[in-house]
Amino acid sequence: MSLAMPPVPHKDDLDSTWSFLEAGIESVMLNLDSGIDMKTYMGLYTAVHNFCTSQKAVASGQGLQGQRGGWFSSLHAAPSASRFELTWTQAHLLGEELYKLLGEYLSCHLSKVFKQSQSHTEEGLLGFYIREWYRYTTAAKYVNHLFRYLNRHWVKREIDEGKKNVYDVYTLHLVKWKGDFFEKVHEKVMDAVLNLIEKQRNGETIEQSQIKSIVDSFVSLGLDENDSSKSTLDVYRQYFQLPFIRATKTYYENESRQFVAENSVVEYMKKAEARLEEEKLRVGLYLHPDVTKSLTDTCLSVLVTAHSTLLRDEFQVLLDNERQEDLARMYRLLSRIKDGLDPLRTTFENHVRRAGLAAVEKVAAEGETLEPKLYVDALLQVHTRYQSLVDEAFNGEAEFVRSLDNACREFVNRNRICKTSSSKSPELLAKYTDSLLKKGSKSAEESELEEMLVQIMTVFKYIEDKDVFQKFYSKNLAKRLVHVSSVSDDAETSMISKLKEACGFEYTNKLQRMFQDMQISKDLNNNYKVWQDKVLDDDDRKRMTDAHFQILGTGFWPLNAPTTPFLAPPEIVRTAELFQKFYFDKHSGRKLTWLWQLCKGEIKANYIKNAKVPYTFQVSTYQMGILLLFNEADTLTYEEIEKATTLATEILDPNLSILLKAKVLIASPEGAKPEPSTSFTLNYNFKNKKVKVNLNIQIKSEQKVEADDTHKTIEEDRKLLLQSAIVRIMKSRKKMKHVQLVQEVIQQVKSRFPPKIPDIKKNIEALMEKDYIERMDGDEISYIA
Amino acid sequence: MSSITLTSSDGVDISVERTTAERSVLIKNMLEDLGDSGEAIPIPNVNEAVLKKVIECDDDDNRRKTTDIDEWDQKFMQVDQEMLFEIILAANYLDIKALLDVGCKTVANMIKGKSPEEIRKTFNIQNDFTPEEEDQIRRENEWAEDR
Repeated sequence: MSLAMPPVPHKDDLDSTWSFLEAGIESVMLNLDSGIDMKTYMGLYTAVHNFCTSQKAVASGQGLQGQRGGWFSSLHAAPSASRFELTWTQAHLLGEELYKLLGEYLSCHLSKVFKQSQSHTEEGLLGFYIREWYRYTTAAKYVNHLFRYLNRHWVKREIDEGKKNVYDVYTLHLVKWKGDFFEKVHEKVMDAVLNLIEKQRNGETIEQSQIKSIVDSFVSLGLDENDSSKSTLDVYRQYFQLPFIRATKTYYENESRQFVAENSVVEYMKKAEARLEEEKLRVGLYLHPDVTKSLTDTCLSVLVTAHSTLLRDEFQVLLDNERQEDLARMYRLLSRIKDGLDPLRTTFENHVRRAGLAAVEKVAAEGETLEPKLYVDALLQVHTRYQSLVDEAFNGEAEFVRSLDNACREFVNRNRICKTSSSKSPELLAKYTDSLLKKGSKSAEESELEEMLVQIMTVFKYIEDKDVFQKFYSKNLAKRLVHVSSVSDDAETSMISKLKEACGFEYTNKLQRMFQDMQISKDLNNNYKVWQDKVLDDDDRKRMTDAHFQILGTGFWPLNAPTTPFLAPPEIVRTAELFQKFYFDKHSGRKLTWLWQLCKGEIKANYIKNAKVPYTFQVSTYQMGILLLFNEADTLTYEEIEKATTLATEILDPNLSILLKAKVLIASPEGAKPEPSTSFTLNYNFKNKKVKVNLNIQIKSEQKVEADDTHKTIEEDRKLLLQSAIVRIMKSRKKMKHVQLVQEVIQQVKSRFPPKIPDIKKNIEALMEKDYIERMDGDEISYIA
Repeated sequence: MSSITLTSSDGVDISVERTTAERSVLIKNMLEDLGDSGEAIPIPNVNEAVLKKVIECDDDDNRRKTTDIDEWDQKFMQVDQEMLFEIILAANYLDIKALLDVGCKTVANMIKGKSPEEIRKTFNIQNDFTPEEEDQIRRENEWAEDR
């Protein structure tokens, strides 16, 4: 149990009071483990109380009042009874002597502690420091309670009056610890701590809780000079954090230098990443969270920034070898330092562009007959590969997406295939789209088709000559609609809405009008049937051919009138005329032009002897015109056919060839080409595996002509687009500098195609000649209303 | 509710609920530091009569929001002057703020509105000022006089 305490001393006697207290404090400080009994505890408290309220002490001060009201003297302050307090402001509060003596005692105690500490080093020192710290702070809590009366009165008054360097008793303990012990040992302690941490970094197991205790102690010593009830991190930052960060920097500088010299960059990145993670964990294990930022910054600077050139140099190698995981690691490391990724973006962009060009180069070996699908697939493949790299390795970061887009735009618009014509990419893409949307091709599942359309839009996004795509697309759409060969209306609508989304209403306006025309035509044919039922008698009906008509608005459809004259057979003329009568009744003043080249029909071959079921020929109107002539004769000469149909030779010849090749007609002399003086005889012994024979095959030369025509109209359309843009701009601005106008035009049309500046200038000149605009003084142009 | 025992300065044991005893910050801290060993706690500066009176005091702080003394406290403080001052001293020693406040307020009310002569009489204080000293004090405190 406790030391035998002398009885509570006389309250007036400082010396005996202090020696009583000192003995008590000593036992609290050194022997708390063996306990302290209530009697001692109460005795110590009472001794402090009694001394502070003693008569003699008051008398020795200036307290006249004390003598005068016996019982008053014990009442130093009653905090909320302000009237009392006013009278006592002048009063001398007792306790200063005790406070001083306590401070001296602590200094003395701590000097002993310091002496003992000198026999310890390294972990032993840490153990000693921590043991003493716990013992000291625990005792401080007790002493603080025992001296509470002093805290409540003398200390409170001193602090209220603004005295510096007076603290409550607990804080006094901390202040003494810092001044009389900590200041002398902190360097040695920190050296031990840093050695311990280094051991751990080297892979040894250490007593982490020791470091944690040291950190806590350092943090506790940070006292706010202005308010001792608050603490600051100043002491911890200065004495722990600074040396710790310094040591960390040195350690990793050495480690990384050595590691890089002996290992590959990939291995180094793994190491650096592991180290960064490890240091992050270290904070949670035993450091103060305040260190996080400076620790991370230090590690990044030493482990990443210092080696960033080395890492970046490896980037191309990793790209070449498609090391996605390592690329991701590099991204993670470099993304954490300032401007770490910027140099990679250029490298990445160039790499993707080269990959795209190489892929195109490969398919370009196919030459002229290149399948659109092959080309588009090649583009898509490169895009898909690097898109997934950006997503997986680069976290889908916007800047890398931009680099990818830049690269794709480059290789989609400027590559081997596009060398001959920059509009080759959109043309091939449109053709590929057509092949997907046309019936009969290896038609894909609906969901699959949708997927492919989405992919087409991916390439479309990069196409610069969007007007070229539009041209080819509308041509192809027209054919699909006219020949009713669309895979499905849903797919068509889906594609158009995608284009609309990408390029706006204007871009798809005509495409949508074409759809409307088809619907209107359907209704029209129904009405026509009703009308026929009313107007025609049975005889008339027998003479009519069953027909379906499509009315296509001239402005919306990219179709031209036939290039050849054609005298249609009377059977068709009769039918057509009747329809025209019906149509003009409904819409007077309209003009109908028959697009014979797009018409087709079926004829039944009743003349063939040994066929059980008569053959049906699917033919173009031109072929029909030729074949129907043979209703009147079995053999006709080239000249007779030419005269009867009035077809131009470039149309007539290939069609006759088809009929000869299919052995519907037989030429004489045998094997002769369709040319003047050849004659043609109907083949009564025609044979075919199928009952329905398709003779309506598109002629090769026609295809080529069509594509060339399309390119020609594109040039024309661009001129108009440029001129209308110029006029639109000038109309709203009235006056404008030439340079500005050119810039504005580029802005307006670049979503359709990238305009060339000389072209813009040429069109400005053209508009001046037409008096839309005029040149003013200097460089200005003005609009003529 | 656990109870503990206090031993007064004149050696009498008094049993009291722990929560009541812990109104004294001194006792509260001590129990916290030493733990409740079941031993009687010696209170060397307070005798039985005063200690009992102190324990009796209601600790409902909500009643004591104003500077006025409410009925309960008034009744509680209806003791002779000797006892009143003993209670105040005990409250100060034991560190029971609420009780100390009530005690001081009661004394303040005893002084309120009285002349120095009356105050001397109330508290049995001998006038040891010379007439000159008294004059000087009066002059210095003129500003505070009721007019």
